[in-house]
Amino acid sequence: MAKFPWMKFAILAVALPALTLPVACFSYIVWQGLPSLNWQIFSGQGMSGFGLENGLYGQLTGSLLLMLGAAAIAAPVAIGTALFSRLYLNNRLRTHIITLLHLMQGIPPIVYGLCGLVVFVHILHWGISLLAGMLILAIIIMPVLVLNSLHALERIPLEHTEAASSLGLTDAQLIYRVWLPEAWPAMLTGLLLGMARALSETAPILFTATVFSGVIWPESLFEPVTSLQTHIFYLAQEGANAQVVGIAWGAATLLIGLILLFSSSALLLRRMDKRQRIGP
Amino acid sequence: MLKPGLGLAILLMLLAAVAVPVFLLQASIPFWQAAGISSIWSSEWYPYEQLYGLLPAIIGTSWAILISLAIAIPCSVAAAIAASEMLPPMLAEKARIGMEVLAGIPSIVYGLIGLWVLLPLLQSSLDLLTGHSLLAAGLMLALMILPTIMLMTMDALQQVPADQREAGLSLGLDWTAQLTRILLPAAWPGIRSGILLSLGRALGETMAVMLVVGSMDRLPQPVYNILQPAQTLTSRIGREIGEAAFGSIHFSSLMAAGLMLAIMGLSISLLANKRP
Repeated sequence: MAKFPWMKFAILAVALPALTLPVACFSYIVWQGLPSLNWQIFSGQGMSGFGLENGLYGQLTGSLLLMLGAAAIAAPVAIGTALFSRLYLNNRLRTHIITLLHLMQGIPPIVYGLCGLVVFVHILHWGISLLAGMLILAIIIMPVLVLNSLHALERIPLEHTEAASSLGLTDAQLIYRVWLPEAWPAMLTGLLLGMARALSETAPILFTATVFSGVIWPESLFEPVTSLQTHIFYLAQEGANAQVVGIAWGAATLLIGLILLFSSSALLLRRMDKRQRIGP
Repeated sequence: MLKPGLGLAILLMLLAAVAVPVFLLQASIPFWQAAGISSIWSSEWYPYEQLYGLLPAIIGTSWAILISLAIAIPCSVAAAIAASEMLPPMLAEKARIGMEVLAGIPSIVYGLIGLWVLLPLLQSSLDLLTGHSLLAAGLMLALMILPTIMLMTMDALQQVPADQREAGLSLGLDWTAQLTRILLPAAWPGIRSGILLSLGRALGETMAVMLVVGSMDRLPQPVYNILQPAQTLTSRIGREIGEAAFGSIHFSSLMAAGLMLAIMGLSISLLANKRP
C-alpha cells in the first residue's frame, strides 16, 4: 500500500530527541533547584561567601527593578510609535518602520550591551548603573512591543474607525474611546512577553549594570545592582563547591519561575482575547 | 498636543535605531586604523602584543552555528510533523504549549546545564580533557533553537489550506507523498523564516556558548577539529570586555567584533524580510 511504510517511523525517531530533550532539561533544572529554594536562601541566614550574605533577596530585587524600569521606559515609547504610525503615516512609510523594527530585532542583544557600555557608562559617565541597564533592556524589547502594538491596532475593523470619524471624534477621542478599549489585551500581551524577555537577557547587563555582590537596594539610578541572571553566571564558575551548585540551580529555578509567570499570563491573555474579545 | 507627543515617541525610537550603528562604528574606528581590515583573516589574537586576528572567533562562530543547525533543523521539523500530522489535535496543542514554555528558558540556565551536565558527559564519552569544545557549544545552541523552529513549522503546517490537503487526498496520494509533495512545499516559507530567526539567535547567543566553548584563542587544529576548546565572537566579547580599558585598541577591537556580529545579524534579518 504505502510506498514508504517506514517513513512515519523514521520521522518519529528523528523527532523523539526534539520532543523529549527540552522537557528533560526543564525537569532536571526544577528537580535540582527546588530542594534549595527554602526560606534560608531568601533571608541568607547561615550563608556566607559568594555574595550570598543576604541570600538571593538583593539579586531578586535587582532583576525585578531592571525589568520594571525597562518596561516603564519602553512601553510609552512603543505605544506612542505605534499610534503615530497608525494615525499620521501612510502605508509605505509604515512598511519602512516595520522593516526597520525587524532589522533592529536582528542585531544580537550583546551588541546593544556594547553600545550601552560606550554611550551610557563611558561617554555619559554614569558608570555601571541601574539606569544604563534599564535603557539597554528597553531598547532590546522595544521592537517586539512596537510590532505587537501595530499588529493589535491593525486588527481593529476599519468600520469602527470610520464610524468614529463620521461621529466627529477627534484623534485623541478616537484613541481613548475606540482603539485602546479594543487593542489593550493584545498590547498588554506584548508587554508581558517583553518583560519576560527582559528578565532572561544576561549578556547585555553583565558589564553595564550589575556587580557581583554587596547591593541589596540601590541608593539611586546611578548605582549598580545585583541580578539573578548574572549571579547564576558568577556561581557557574564555582562548580567545585557543592553548596554553590545547589544555590545556582535554586536561582535558576527561581528565574524560570518568574519568567513563566509573565510569559504564561501573556499566553493566557492572548487565548482569552482570541476566544472572546475582552472589553466593550 | 497629541501629534507632538506621539511624534516625540517615534523620534526617540528612531534615535535609538540610528544611534546603535553610529556608536558601534565610531567606537571601532581606532581598531580599523591600527590593525586594518586584514585582521579579519589573520589568525593571531594576543591583545598584549597588539595582535588582533579575528579569524579564530569567526571560524568558531561559523562552526557552532553549522553544528546547531545540522542537528536542530531535521529534529525540529520532524517533531513539528509528528505533532501536527500524527498526534491528535488535543495532544498537539499540549505540545505547542510545552514548546512555548521551553522557548522562554533563559540562555544562562541552558549554560548551567551545558557546564554541569553536558561537559562531563562529553568528557567521559569522547575521552576529552575537559569537554569544553565547539561541539558542546553547537549542541547547546541546537537545544536552544529547537523550540523556535518547531513552533514556526507547526504554525506553517497548520496554515496549509484545507482544499490543498483535500486535492492531494483526492489524487490518491499516500501519506508520504502528501507530506513531501503538498504539505512541506506549502509550508516552506514559514519553515524558512523559522530557520533564519533561529540562525540569528544562534549567532548572537552569548552566555550558554561562553560557558561551554572554552575560550581558547586559536584556530582549531586542523580546522575541522570541533573537539577542541575554541572561541566565538560573542564569547570573546563576553570574556574580555570587562578587562579591556575604555579607549584602548583592545576595547575597540571588541567593538569591531560587535560590529561584525551586527552586520551578520542584519544580513540574516534582511534575508528573512525578503520574501522568496
